[in-house]
Amino acid sequence: MNTKLFSPYVPRPVTLVEKTPLSDFVTRFTFEQDNGKPLAHKPGQFVNLSIYGIGEAPFSISSPPRRTNITFEIAVRRIGAVTGALHALEPGAKVGLRGPYGSSFPVMKFVGKDVLIVAGGLGYIPLRSLLFYQLRHRDEFGRIVLMVGTRDPKERIFVDEIADLAKSGEVEVMETVDMPDSTWKGNVGVITTLLPKAELDPGNTFVAMVGPPIMYRFVIAECRKKGIASEQIFVSLERKMKCGLGKCGHCQINELNTCIDGPVFCYTDIEAYQEAI
Amino acid sequence: MTTYTVYKEQLPGLFEKWSKQYALHVPARLREGFYDLVPWKKDLEIAWDYDVAYNSPKRFVMPPHEALITYDRRTCEAQPVFEAPKQILFGVHPYDVKALNQLDQLMEGGSPDQNYLRRREATVVMVFEPLTVSSSAFWASVGAASVAHGFDLYWTKIGPAAFTVEVGSAKGEELLGMNGPLLSSTAGDKEGARRAKARVLAKARKNALRYNWEETPRLLAKCWDSPLWRRYSQMCLACGSCNLVCPTCYCFDIREETDDKLETGVRSREWDGCMLEGFAKVAGNHNFRPKAQDRYRHRYFRKGKYIYDKIGELGCVGCGRCVRACTAGIANPLKVFNELWEETAHEY
Repeated sequence: MNTKLFSPYVPRPVTLVEKTPLSDFVTRFTFEQDNGKPLAHKPGQFVNLSIYGIGEAPFSISSPPRRTNITFEIAVRRIGAVTGALHALEPGAKVGLRGPYGSSFPVMKFVGKDVLIVAGGLGYIPLRSLLFYQLRHRDEFGRIVLMVGTRDPKERIFVDEIADLAKSGEVEVMETVDMPDSTWKGNVGVITTLLPKAELDPGNTFVAMVGPPIMYRFVIAECRKKGIASEQIFVSLERKMKCGLGKCGHCQINELNTCIDGPVFCYTDIEAYQEAI
Repeated sequence: MTTYTVYKEQLPGLFEKWSKQYALHVPARLREGFYDLVPWKKDLEIAWDYDVAYNSPKRFVMPPHEALITYDRRTCEAQPVFEAPKQILFGVHPYDVKALNQLDQLMEGGSPDQNYLRRREATVVMVFEPLTVSSSAFWASVGAASVAHGFDLYWTKIGPAAFTVEVGSAKGEELLGMNGPLLSSTAGDKEGARRAKARVLAKARKNALRYNWEETPRLLAKCWDSPLWRRYSQMCLACGSCNLVCPTCYCFDIREETDDKLETGVRSREWDGCMLEGFAKVAGNHNFRPKAQDRYRHRYFRKGKYIYDKIGELGCVGCGRCVRACTAGIANPLKVFNELWEETAHEY
């Protein structure tokens, strides 16, 4: 690399290789790095993806770290300019990529422990990276409990995958929807209603949670009620990570930059910040 | 520290020489009470007694609109863009150099911002000790009355036609010596410079924090829920003028423009402001600071606490530009910090 011409703002090209619809609005995109190298990310990190002419936006990486495979996945809800343009792409199309950026779930801390994964709405997307990393090293962890909460059955994503996980017996899956329809036979209620139903060993359980902003406060309160200490709770927070370098100021949570200090935080480290949860 | 004495009659010759190699900017009066740094040209009258330049010098090292990359939509390749014109900022006041030094630290830390650093590298900063003080300035009470580094030359007016020039860098000394040998300052000249500084300091101390500025982060830590934030922010127009004129505000947005054939384009950064309504808005329209109160408080916390916690200096250098720029009359760090101090005085 010509270091004289290095700029952290320059994306590198990656190619879309697969596109799988997950729901009416959410699609999984599999990309391949044109540089022939694995993405080398850690579970919980994000990338900044560019569709030239439209713009750049941050997305959580959904696939687990891969040592030799040069593909990686994101899953995206069609909601704005960049996500709309992304949904219009077909395999073979190229986009720009910067990253991976940010902090990650401390998987080494989780080794030998039970792990509770709380996924609200699209929160399953980044947590999937952690979950499948753990499954690859399944014998190094205790129980893996996955809680999934969705607004209504139609918006559920990775439905078959989650069903397979439940069947495999390697993950204890608990699922709920806020607003059931006639097809839904499972739990009804917000995701917090699942916590009292789960039997957990509070001293031995680490929690990883991702969901809509409103979710954290309530799930954390339930975890604390169960006796899980703040140091054992990890959250990934969403903000507008524009530059990814801790400069542009958009993703600040009080004095923290979500893009470099986060997005994954230990609850102890953010408890005191008014803007965090 | 090497100090030379330079006479006014030497300046046109020096400016002439410098302007051949550099874009030379000097303070000038644009109308009564309105000063700014403008491109130097022959016979331009330098506003030695300017109180504050309307625009801060950040625009020279981080322009309001700056290309970062060019891209080609057909190949999906992108190239960095670096622009770093050689420029001399003549007559910058010490508090503004303090602000530049802060930007240096913040843009260099972590992942260095090459665009900024290259511009800064190509910029020669010549400080001028102020002669007058803006009525809204309070730099003397926030530790920004003097700078020890970050400049190439430090000019102090010691008489109607004489200056002492302290050398801050080899580049500065070389520029100063371009028209022949230099005259070392006498002890008397240096004493003149010291007195000039003392005179302006006396004026600048008229507007002051009622406490030691280093207490500001501890003060703010107690004031998250103060009624002051709402009292002032309810008048906020969310126009971002305070961000715009602030010498230490550097938040930016990234935008792009493609040519009319939709083939190639430029991605640029543009100044943004944390006081603007959509600053912390994410996809799906969730706004993490929806109320003016959230944004107003954030700005003062950034100036008084967050930046301090990072680099040990206040993020406000007391230039008073925001006080003048605010249409609603609510941007005033001095007033805000002093009122918070009084509110909490009983706790000390």
